[in-house]
Amino acid sequence: MKNVHVAISNVSKTFGKAKVLDDISLEIPRGSFTTLLGPSGCGKTTLLRTLAGFYSVELGDIFIDDQRVNDVPSHLRNAIMVFQDYALFPHMNIRENITYGLRIRKMPQAEIGKRLERTIGYLDIGNLLDRTPGQISGGQQQRVALARALVMEPEVLLLDEPLSNLDAKLRISIRAELRQLQQRLKITTIYVTHDQAEALAMSDMIAVMKDGHIMQVGSPSDVYYHPNSTFVASFIGTVNFIRGVVRSVADDRIEVEVKNGGATIAVQEKPQGTDAGNAPRIGDNVTLAIRPESIKLLDKAAAGDDSQNFFNGKLIRSIFEGSSIRYWIDAFGAEILADVFDPGENIVREDIVRFTIEPGKVHIIIDRCESGIHGVA
Amino acid sequence: MKRRKHELSLTIAILFIVICLLGFVIYPIVEVFLFPKIGDFLSILKSERYMRTALNSLMMVILSTLSATTIGFLFAFTVARTNVPGRKIFKLISLLPLFSPPFMVAFSYIMMFGKNGLITAGIFGVKTNIFGWHGLWLAQTIAFFPVAFLVMEGVLQSISPMLEHAGRNLGATGFALFRTVTFPLARPGVAGAALLVAIQVLADFGNPIMISGSFSVLATEAWMRVEGWADIAGAAVLSIFLLVPSFAIFFFQRYWVNKRSYVTVTGKIAQMEIQKTGKAVKWTLFAICAFISVLILLVYVGLLVGAFVNGWGYDWSPTLRYFREISSRSKELIRSLSYSIVAGFSSALFSMVAAYLVSRKKFLMRRFVDFTCILPAALPGIFLGIGYSIGFTRPPVDMYGTAAIIVLSMIFWNISTGYQTGIGALQQISPSFNDAASNLGATSMRIFREIEIPLIKGPFFSSFIISFIRAVTTLSVIVFLSTSKNAVVTFSIMNLVSDGFYGKAAALTCVLLVISFGTLGIAKLLMGKQVQLFKV
Repeated sequence: MKNVHVAISNVSKTFGKAKVLDDISLEIPRGSFTTLLGPSGCGKTTLLRTLAGFYSVELGDIFIDDQRVNDVPSHLRNAIMVFQDYALFPHMNIRENITYGLRIRKMPQAEIGKRLERTIGYLDIGNLLDRTPGQISGGQQQRVALARALVMEPEVLLLDEPLSNLDAKLRISIRAELRQLQQRLKITTIYVTHDQAEALAMSDMIAVMKDGHIMQVGSPSDVYYHPNSTFVASFIGTVNFIRGVVRSVADDRIEVEVKNGGATIAVQEKPQGTDAGNAPRIGDNVTLAIRPESIKLLDKAAAGDDSQNFFNGKLIRSIFEGSSIRYWIDAFGAEILADVFDPGENIVREDIVRFTIEPGKVHIIIDRCESGIHGVA
Repeated sequence: MKRRKHELSLTIAILFIVICLLGFVIYPIVEVFLFPKIGDFLSILKSERYMRTALNSLMMVILSTLSATTIGFLFAFTVARTNVPGRKIFKLISLLPLFSPPFMVAFSYIMMFGKNGLITAGIFGVKTNIFGWHGLWLAQTIAFFPVAFLVMEGVLQSISPMLEHAGRNLGATGFALFRTVTFPLARPGVAGAALLVAIQVLADFGNPIMISGSFSVLATEAWMRVEGWADIAGAAVLSIFLLVPSFAIFFFQRYWVNKRSYVTVTGKIAQMEIQKTGKAVKWTLFAICAFISVLILLVYVGLLVGAFVNGWGYDWSPTLRYFREISSRSKELIRSLSYSIVAGFSSALFSMVAAYLVSRKKFLMRRFVDFTCILPAALPGIFLGIGYSIGFTRPPVDMYGTAAIIVLSMIFWNISTGYQTGIGALQQISPSFNDAASNLGATSMRIFREIEIPLIKGPFFSSFIISFIRAVTTLSVIVFLSTSKNAVVTFSIMNLVSDGFYGKAAALTCVLLVISFGTLGIAKLLMGKQVQLFKV
């Protein structure tokens, strides 16, 4: 029995004619780090702001701790937000910025001091207190914005793409730090981002959004290895799509005949990966999703045939990326991507290459009129 | 060869600009300072009458600036930050005085609230005396609060709503949010707006000459010195008293207050819903804005009624005779129009060329040109008028009573608006456009013709319109330069009002308003959104 902290129930929202949120429902477990992930315009920020109380709820309900908060003003929800541009008050110094909310609550000075000390301890910003927001770097502003929220000891912490204004290296180090801090303080955190790598690295749970809908909810490995749609598969990471028809279904082995080229790919689908009622049947049109790193290049002479998922393809081109090499291979009537990690200096140059795919790493998506060769996030 | 030709024409343009600025901006200013002798300064400093006048000016600056800035802020807050109904209409009405002759408010309020006032005597049956500091205070408040409104509306709009949302999210609501976030962020803008208003109040000539009666201020006293005693030296000293604080405030505002603005610190402005205002606050703001809007509209109602009734205060029967009589003033009208068109166009052209040179070329006197083009904005019209009167009405340069002296004064009094518009526009045009065009093979002449001219056409046109309207409605600059041979309409209106011919004066003012608003309307129609007239 999971302990639901924030519940969103059938929430819709329109701006003018555009439907930004369309019947959204989501349950967020207490103490979890939940990410709303999606491309720009998918409604993730609107959903977050609605949770914060900046937007009114038009249709549906929002519950925090089983309390309906639709009409509770922002500051009484104790759902504190860290803004994308930090929204630090430029006319106050860092100390005044961090303690602003406590002073508004008329908290005794001694208590304010105690909380301030504790918070700056988490974030290592004690030396910045007397400066103004204009005098500190982007990364420091980010920490101050986080401190201003944490000092309130919020029920729910809302983060709106807080790392998007930082440079790549800083983003990765703050990412880890933020996750550690969240786990230590066990604050229910809702995080909005369009960066799938960030979502995978930080979250307990990811809700993938598109056009105002939630497409899939699951753990990072769930949405990565068992996407329920070509959109989710292509939005999170890079993937090869191969279209085919189901030819045989056994307990743990499904065989799919590729549409162009006639090869047969064996799939070993985990039972929880597909919905029971939605299991593939013989004759179904399906799309296979295969991650580039799941395709293994072999010696030309390696034994094995179709039934064991061994195939031949024609090498088109390759790119050296340091930790890996990406190959483009003409196979199954399409261009297939294959990533080889730790490649050393031996780049494959032959015309014909041989490769294999582990049946357990192929995922079946039942076609819903969606098409695409490979999506690159 | 071609290049050398280009360089030559550039040098000639720079020389022309520098010589004009030296001759028509710097020289008259210097003349005002050199004309009076030490004795003139001392006698004025010793005279109790002039000290009282200076104190009067100071008092009006404080009173009118406070009231105009307060009302301007309430308006700006209502328009930019609330959901009070009728915001667009309030904004439109509050902009009207910006495009009207500066003396108009005082003139109309004499008719509305004076001894025979349509409202005071006509409706409430009370005899009031509007002449004096209180009448001036009312007139200046209404005449100049739009300036404060425009500046502060811009400031409030550029405060990111995110900051207010953050404040609300952290617990601040209603007035606490206003006190801790919104107002502190707007404070530099409020200070800037107040200083701009102060300059206008200090330099105001049109309102006090009509409504202040025996309560004299520096600007009117300078005029009296010349008109009554032909004491140009005394007038020069008084106008120096006017210039020094005006100059100080202007540059303080420009280089100190503007630097303290928070506007640039906040990030991109996100589209956020404006939070609903509390009912009590909402309707209080509505009532205030509505009341002030009515006061503004009354100005125009007064003028219209005044122009169409036989005798103000005693014979309310309608008549068209004042408009028929205007034909006897057609000379002044034609002068007003033709001088202002020439002056507006020359001013816009001159300032655009200067702006182009300053922002795109490096040359020896660049900083001088930049400073001198902005300088006229700090000069009270009276001061420049006296400068021209001292500098250009006696040998070696005697333009006494000519059209040229009026037109020149109008041109150079207005260059700063056009210049700043031009600089702003050229800053928007990234030099990389030029690089791109020349990279694609365009010559510098073609770049100028095909890239830069089309991009500065809009700003040029706006500054032409603004200069034209300022020229056609100005009184303070031309009052010292007018004779029967070159008088323009504003000068006649002043004389008509002081002689008590309200009907004729009102009719002429109506014609001025038609010209001014008509020009605006046509400009909007022709250029649409390209024309930005609401910059201060």
